[in-house]
Amino acid sequence: MFSTALWIMWHFLDTHVLFLTGDGVLFYLPHAARVLCVVYFGLRAIPGLYAAELIGPYIIDPGIYSFSIFIPALISVMAVPLTLLVLNFLGFTLGRKISSPLNRRNYKHIFLITFISAGFNSLLVNLYLSTNNLSFSESITDIALVSQFFIGDITGTVLVFIFLAMLLKPILRQARN
Amino acid sequence: MKEFYKNITDALAMLNGLENDLNIRHFTPNELKVFYTIIIRSACNEDGSNITEIVDNSGMSRSTVYKTLKKLSSEGIINLNQSEDDGRESLVVLNSRT
Repeated sequence: MFSTALWIMWHFLDTHVLFLTGDGVLFYLPHAARVLCVVYFGLRAIPGLYAAELIGPYIIDPGIYSFSIFIPALISVMAVPLTLLVLNFLGFTLGRKISSPLNRRNYKHIFLITFISAGFNSLLVNLYLSTNNLSFSESITDIALVSQFFIGDITGTVLVFIFLAMLLKPILRQARN
Repeated sequence: MKEFYKNITDALAMLNGLENDLNIRHFTPNELKVFYTIIIRSACNEDGSNITEIVDNSGMSRSTVYKTLKKLSSEGIINLNQSEDDGRESLVVLNSRT
């Protein structure tokens, strides 16, 4: 429920408040919801995120949405768990201590997860789309679309983190005192 | 429920580290709004944004934006460069150290 709400909120901000989506998208805010929910709440966040990917756009823009994207949506949601799995396989286990190879209290480590998951998301979703002759946009090439997904996911997540750090400033200050 | 709070605490600790490194702890709400607007505009225009664009996008008054930009500039967070096209216009760019 929490992850669904978070995803829909960032998607709404992206499309209706900041108008950051479109062919030249530079920020894709919902990727932050995927990263935050999977890193901090684990695999139990996945059903909520997947539900959000499917119903979120329909709630926000009922007229322009099609349910035919259910596989790309699943790939996008699974990009973060896949990243954690690969990093775990390489010996970087996610933990909360300073000694943990991948510390979830360290934003640099979270950015690393964001970076790799954005790579998986951009490559795998576009691989699926191109092999099935589907496309989100007819005006740009596959390579440009991969780059757009990759950069959009990273910049969108960074923007959300900066925004949250600013927004939660009073809470963070209280936690320090 | 205890685990949920632990997870939230970890997320807040991560954001706290980011806030410390970005050195945005002392920002007022107006400064945050202007800073946030400048970040978004920087992605669209590498040469910098003019003040009118920041006023339009932040939804704040021109005088408040001017005062805030001067403070951010004096703290070295942004640079105010003169526009090559229009000498009367200043372009706002994020300081590369920020």
